[in-house]
Amino acid sequence: MNVVSPITTDTSGSFAAPPGPIEQVRYACALGALTSVIAIEEAIPITHCGPGCASKQFQALSGISGYQGGEFHVPSSNIGNKEVIFGGADRLDELISSTLKVMEAKLYVVQSGCIPGLVGDDVENLVKGYRRRGVPIVFAETLGYRGTNFTGHETVVKAIIEQYVAKQPEKPKQAGLVNVWALLPYQNPFWRGDLTELRRILEGIGLEVNILFGPASAGLSEWRAIPAAAFNLVLGPWLGLSIARDLEAAYGQSTLHIPALPVGARQTAAFLRKVGDYAGIDRKKVDAFIAREERTYYHYLRDFATFYAGCTSQYRLPSEVNVVADSAYGLAITKFLVGDLGLNPGVIVITENPPETEREAIRAAFRNLAPGIDADPLFESDGHKAHVAIRAHARIGELPIVFGSTWEAGLAGEIDAPLVEISYPVTDEVVLSRSYIGYRGALQLIERTYTTVVRQSTEENPEVAAP
Amino acid sequence: MPINLRTPQAETRDQRLGTITQWDGRASQLAKDSAFTFGCGRDCGPGGKRLCELNSPYSQASMCAEQIAVTNATIIKDTVVIQHSPIGCASSQSFTSRYSRDLAARRGWKPEDPKSICTNLGEQDMVFGGVDRLAETIRDAYQRHKPRVIFVATSCATGIIGDDVDGTVRQLEDELGIPVVALHCEGFKSRHWSSGWDVIEHGILRRLVPDWTHEKNPDLLNVIHLGGPDVFTPLVGPLGLKVNLIMGGNSLERLADLSTAAATVTMCFVLSYLATGLEQEYGVPEIRAPLPYGQDATDNWLRDIARVTGRTHLVEAVIASERARIAPELERLRGLLKGKKGFVAAGAAFAHGLIADLRELGVTVDDAYSFHHDPSTDSRDPEQDSLGHLIQATGDIENFTVSPDQHFQTHAALKRSNPDFVICRHSGTTATLAGRLGIPVLPIFYSNDGLGYEGLLTIGRAILRVLPRRRFYEDVAAHSSFPYQKWWLEETNPYALDTAEAAE
Repeated sequence: MNVVSPITTDTSGSFAAPPGPIEQVRYACALGALTSVIAIEEAIPITHCGPGCASKQFQALSGISGYQGGEFHVPSSNIGNKEVIFGGADRLDELISSTLKVMEAKLYVVQSGCIPGLVGDDVENLVKGYRRRGVPIVFAETLGYRGTNFTGHETVVKAIIEQYVAKQPEKPKQAGLVNVWALLPYQNPFWRGDLTELRRILEGIGLEVNILFGPASAGLSEWRAIPAAAFNLVLGPWLGLSIARDLEAAYGQSTLHIPALPVGARQTAAFLRKVGDYAGIDRKKVDAFIAREERTYYHYLRDFATFYAGCTSQYRLPSEVNVVADSAYGLAITKFLVGDLGLNPGVIVITENPPETEREAIRAAFRNLAPGIDADPLFESDGHKAHVAIRAHARIGELPIVFGSTWEAGLAGEIDAPLVEISYPVTDEVVLSRSYIGYRGALQLIERTYTTVVRQSTEENPEVAAP
Repeated sequence: MPINLRTPQAETRDQRLGTITQWDGRASQLAKDSAFTFGCGRDCGPGGKRLCELNSPYSQASMCAEQIAVTNATIIKDTVVIQHSPIGCASSQSFTSRYSRDLAARRGWKPEDPKSICTNLGEQDMVFGGVDRLAETIRDAYQRHKPRVIFVATSCATGIIGDDVDGTVRQLEDELGIPVVALHCEGFKSRHWSSGWDVIEHGILRRLVPDWTHEKNPDLLNVIHLGGPDVFTPLVGPLGLKVNLIMGGNSLERLADLSTAAATVTMCFVLSYLATGLEQEYGVPEIRAPLPYGQDATDNWLRDIARVTGRTHLVEAVIASERARIAPELERLRGLLKGKKGFVAAGAAFAHGLIADLRELGVTVDDAYSFHHDPSTDSRDPEQDSLGHLIQATGDIENFTVSPDQHFQTHAALKRSNPDFVICRHSGTTATLAGRLGIPVLPIFYSNDGLGYEGLLTIGRAILRVLPRRRFYEDVAAHSSFPYQKWWLEETNPYALDTAEAAE
């Protein structure tokens, strides 16, 4: 069987499936980026793949993880024997034309899965034909064996920019408008709340924001305004960097890359000053916003100090943070817990198989979490090996806490640690608008963390009862 | 046609049973056409014609056989399931695990994550083949968990590139000394996900059921169910029968006992492959009486079990006492549900059962939706014609839609029906859609809920619990919309897109 499509190099770094098997899967395949399309209002994916592929990715990323919801009505060719043997382009043609009859959207994103890649369907030309006839439709090759939902996300975004955004009438540059590339929708169960908070604080210092995904976004009008932005803000260790590089080339926009999502007042203030300076915003305006936010933030922190000091021994407050998460959240949470709350770093496992080319930068971001305190992250997608590392870690006198996924429930029990679910899959939390970043998110992270600690301390680990 | 256990691959139900996934019309017509095409069931009067399937040009993402096969293999204890696939197929691990922990809580087992591993195939493997990775993963699985059985599930990708899974599995089985069972479940091979049941049942029957017929246990009744709490022991325990609950997270010991049982019942004929196979291979009789939904059907089902296991002298007392036990509560529920209109959406025989329950509870059911339709069963016994039985016992269903959980078609069917509530299986598409249309919905996650005498009460009470949620659903419905064209939002024929074609 021939693999007809060329190996892609168009996402951040080049994708290679990590060697060895994976137990306790922590991401989806490239087709899973259909959730990124669903996250854009008025856009729908059209999937050319086997009958279970699209729904499985959606159920995994949205359904069971945080119960993020959204009903599922994604068009799919549900490829059968006939299409495998004779090719599936005709079936896809029929599906697209009937989709246009039944569904109503302003943008259609055709995504292909493993089967069309293996049997060699020419999806690109088929979609081009529709586009020539004026249909707002793009093609993203998201073959399951060729990437994850992280790389698939970049593929989808680039397809929309190149095949849809670029075809829109040109708009003049708008000073103070920024495109934000942060957080993978649905993969991170807190993305909706986090993007809302990000938008709020960026607007707070006077920027206009294309947040692009989720309820905080105005939808496709923001996408059409991408070329008008003054610059791109890539917020996170690597995801979105290659999108920003493309936009640099296409629209002459510059890129501000900040690896760590800001959590808590210290980091958020530093983040806002950096962005403000970069955008040329009056420092006084930025500082005024920060001051307003800090007044509220520290009011709560002051009151929390009563618990944090007073209940230290009663509830055996954790002293060592262990993390199993993708690099974006792993870094953000670790920095806050170590740098702001004063915990020590334990084992930090980065799970999303980030491109090799970006790993040194990720390691660097974990240095100096607090003055003189470094963490050395382990890159491991296989849950079994991640757990072996956390179990093997020597803890003398430390009280560990785990920030990870539902997969860590058993492990946390073994090392007698509370578990706060922050990374995919989160099957034991119902998440709506909760956020863990910025000012408001940090307070919610503290609430969730210490509610978990108190409950675990009192319910699951009762002191040995007196006889 | 007997079940063929010589090959590692189960024949799909499309081939064996003539399963269809797209149809719309009166239920009586579907029953007649099925009987005409696949052998006469009951009341096969005039009016039957060759069963024809519709063919919608538009379709939405559905489900695949691999998911059913893998889920139900994963929750068998002391095993490891290997998904020989790119990573996306294994993204179901998270919900399989949640399901497994849920089951454990309900059945009183130790809650732990089931073990499943993905070979994680990439582009290189598509070019050069993935059998080396598979062999390595099987060894890893053994080293990590020391399982008693390893399942290897195929995927669309490995099916197309032609990996020799059977050869690898045989080789590793020799090396490790435990059964390594291939599950051939490429999603593209069957038009319906329920073929996945046949795949796992084929694997079990072929490899994990030893011939222990010489150790017959006359008190043991195999019960093959979809999964969930044991509602069977209270039903058949009084007959002196011990339940061997199969599927839905059983142990290997339970599987090993299959050939020793006095009889097998299936809680849904969609799962009857294993029951028919047990009769064919080991002479364990399959109870073929209509499924125990509603009092009359449950009476007859118990009588048939009693007859086959030689306990007829006990059964009438059990029936009488159960009927008397539920009578007052059933009356109360009927009073509260009187005049309500229900809409049922579930898979084939399971849907037929839920309709029987609702009708016995005094609910009107004029519209139903089946995720697929099996015009025949592996036993070829007309006794198992559950749709025919339903119609004979409780009357016709005016609008009967067969569709593989297609959101746009369910939308039209619900517009046509305008029910007071929806009761459905598979909590994804239908449940969310109904809610968003402002209709209270009861998704049946644990499919045993409606069974037997107690099932009527369980279902009735559950419906009453969700009816007040109309207040929530109507609020959401008033403030959200669906991305369909206006004409489709008003359409009430689920197959309106095909009508032109069908008329030709």
